[in-house]
Amino acid sequence: METPTIDPKSIYYPPGGILMWIIIFLELVTFGIALIFMVVSAREEPEMFHDSRMLLNSTYGAINTVFLLTSGFFMARTVQLFKEGNILRASVFLRLTMLGGLLFLALKGFEYNDKLEAGLGLSYNTFFTYYWMLTLFHMVHVIVGLIILWTVQRSISKVPVNLKLEDMEASAAFWHMCDLIWLLLFPILYLIF
Amino acid sequence: MKSTFLTTWIFLMLFTLVTAFMANSGFEYAALAILGLALLKCIGVAFYFMELKKANPFWKVSLLSFLIIFFTIILLV
Repeated sequence: METPTIDPKSIYYPPGGILMWIIIFLELVTFGIALIFMVVSAREEPEMFHDSRMLLNSTYGAINTVFLLTSGFFMARTVQLFKEGNILRASVFLRLTMLGGLLFLALKGFEYNDKLEAGLGLSYNTFFTYYWMLTLFHMVHVIVGLIILWTVQRSISKVPVNLKLEDMEASAAFWHMCDLIWLLLFPILYLIF
Repeated sequence: MKSTFLTTWIFLMLFTLVTAFMANSGFEYAALAILGLALLKCIGVAFYFMELKKANPFWKVSLLSFLIIFFTIILLV
């Protein structure tokens, strides 16, 4: 039986698979709508949104952007090395990818702790309601992404390797989706108000 | 390909640095610049890291349309 080859130019096979891309679009639209509602709310109370935004530490946000984008770079290299059959190096880069995600979570945890100690919880004001809901929802995605990457790591650590390229690409697409969502959240939550 | 990923990462870091600088600069069009750079960063991640560049034009146009519409609405609201 002949193994079917995947044509990336086909509408049915974007990198990561059509189902993953449907999920990516749904997630982007969901976060996008929530952010648009947030900006609409900010029109009604611009001073409160500005003052609240100033209570956030944009340096934490920028460092977390660096962690996620660097992790995304390692993920892209992991997929490339996996395609080349260099499993050992792919495994090293996948661990670096996960390290980036863990550093993101650690810094986010630190930031959440600061906010809670300052009494800036979910019900503090409208800005912080959006802040907590959006960043927590994103954090759940990062945690799910890390679990997916951990299972991928386990699969490529086995001999013979027990993972298809499509599964590796789908996992990578999910991880990059976390980057994309963060790139929408970061400027709006931390910078523009 | 390795150098493409590295170049993309360098640009993404550079854009993040410029974004952080813009936010504290008091520049009149800072919001426009910050959102413009965010759009470019999304394109960098999607087209290069996610290799959307190699995909069917439908996916490229769909993502670009979403990003442009989203950032335009944010600017106009």
